[in-house]
Amino acid sequence: MAPIIRPGEGLLYMKVGTHAQETLEDIIERKRKEIENAGFALWGYGGNTCHPVSMVQPFARNFERKAGVLYLCMQQMNSKHFAPPIRATEMSPDGFTWEKIPLAINVKGSRYALAIKNLRQDDFDLALARTKVAIGNSMGRIGSQYVAGRVDKACLEVSDEGVTQPHDEPVVHIGLIAEIVSPYAVFVRD
Amino acid sequence: MFLYHSDMAEDADIDLRAAFNAISDVVQNRPRPLRVFDQIYMKAGDMVLQSELVARWANGKKLAFIGDGDAISVCVAYLHKREIINYGPTEIAVFDFDERICGAVTRFADNERLDQIRAELYNCLDAFPGPTDFDCFYTNPPWGASNDGESVKVFLQRGLEATGYAGEGMVVIADDPDLDWPKRVLSNVQTFAMQSGFFVQRMMPQLHYYHLDDAPNLRSCNLIFKALPGNRLPGPSQRVSDPARLAHFYGRDNPPRVRYVREKERLDYGKAHEDEYSLELLEDSHGTHH
Repeated sequence: MAPIIRPGEGLLYMKVGTHAQETLEDIIERKRKEIENAGFALWGYGGNTCHPVSMVQPFARNFERKAGVLYLCMQQMNSKHFAPPIRATEMSPDGFTWEKIPLAINVKGSRYALAIKNLRQDDFDLALARTKVAIGNSMGRIGSQYVAGRVDKACLEVSDEGVTQPHDEPVVHIGLIAEIVSPYAVFVRD
Repeated sequence: MFLYHSDMAEDADIDLRAAFNAISDVVQNRPRPLRVFDQIYMKAGDMVLQSELVARWANGKKLAFIGDGDAISVCVAYLHKREIINYGPTEIAVFDFDERICGAVTRFADNERLDQIRAELYNCLDAFPGPTDFDCFYTNPPWGASNDGESVKVFLQRGLEATGYAGEGMVVIADDPDLDWPKRVLSNVQTFAMQSGFFVQRMMPQLHYYHLDDAPNLRSCNLIFKALPGNRLPGPSQRVSDPARLAHFYGRDNPPRVRYVREKERLDYGKAHEDEYSLELLEDSHGTHH
């Protein structure tokens, strides 16, 4: 069942698949165990469209205040991700102060990671044309225009028409969701 | 020979191959950008055209760069030195808070004997160190998507100070027909310049593309300001410390925390770093290693 994402609320959209030579199925299983053992998981990623400090953290603080919950909505895709599966040992919310990553949590082959809980499979369609980019240099651009080419993730605000009910425009299929929790996004390093 | 005909001058045909190769030399010399400080590099083709434009605009003048990650300053000096263009500033000073950028300018200038260019470590939040007798300034600052152009205004203010509020300036900022925030920034920046005794002499819309993976189609414009006759320096340069101006300097809720980016000295500038690779040796015909 689709989560309730109301007009004016935010969501973080991301295409997901094989990462650091590990299949999505294996990653999901591993992350669920991390949430069981540590209370949260770190979902690794890269790229500047969701930079921890300049994008995700201010976006999440703003929209968590509005909605209470900020969802990570993930679309499965076929991908090859050849980054070496090197485990990160430290994390930092700001790039200045670093702390050890709990042993129960393994982030591999990534520079950044989202803090998540309640990771679960789901099944609903998302109308990206009913969203707009919420922060950064592309702020205001229509989500379906923004997510194209090399852009495969985005901090989005839902427009007045809503985003999960039936629409005429093309939709993307969301098969996996999670809740983003404080500190929302961190830098990680080995 | 591929020629480029400058739109700034009727007699300016440029050997494009030579110009691109010269810009390639400069790009090879630049440090990698730090995105957290909005160091976002202009694409090489646009750098060629922008450098020619700046060289002609500042021909025979003293030019200050308020920040210059792109290395347009070096391109301008180098194109002139290599006689790919026969015009350019008489003196160029680069003010940047990134010691890697200052070092790259200094090293390139030394290698290529570019006598007219120098670099100085300077954070634009500090009072401008002077001199204030530059004829013109150039800046491509953080574009202020989340602060309605406040970050642009800080860099612009330092540029105005560099000319003693009596010269010209070229400001490179976002210009996109589909987005609202660049229009607000353009409006606020022009208002600030007019309140400072300057007027918009020329606006060249939607010119440049960048290595910007979160906004690959976002372009910037050139906004050229000129001082009104008799305009005067309003007073000594002051440090910018107003929290309201700084709260969203590098993006929403992202004020400046760093005074300088310091360079870690190394002996292999411009070369592949030894920690990037290891060597696996060939075996000779006797099965032994060389």
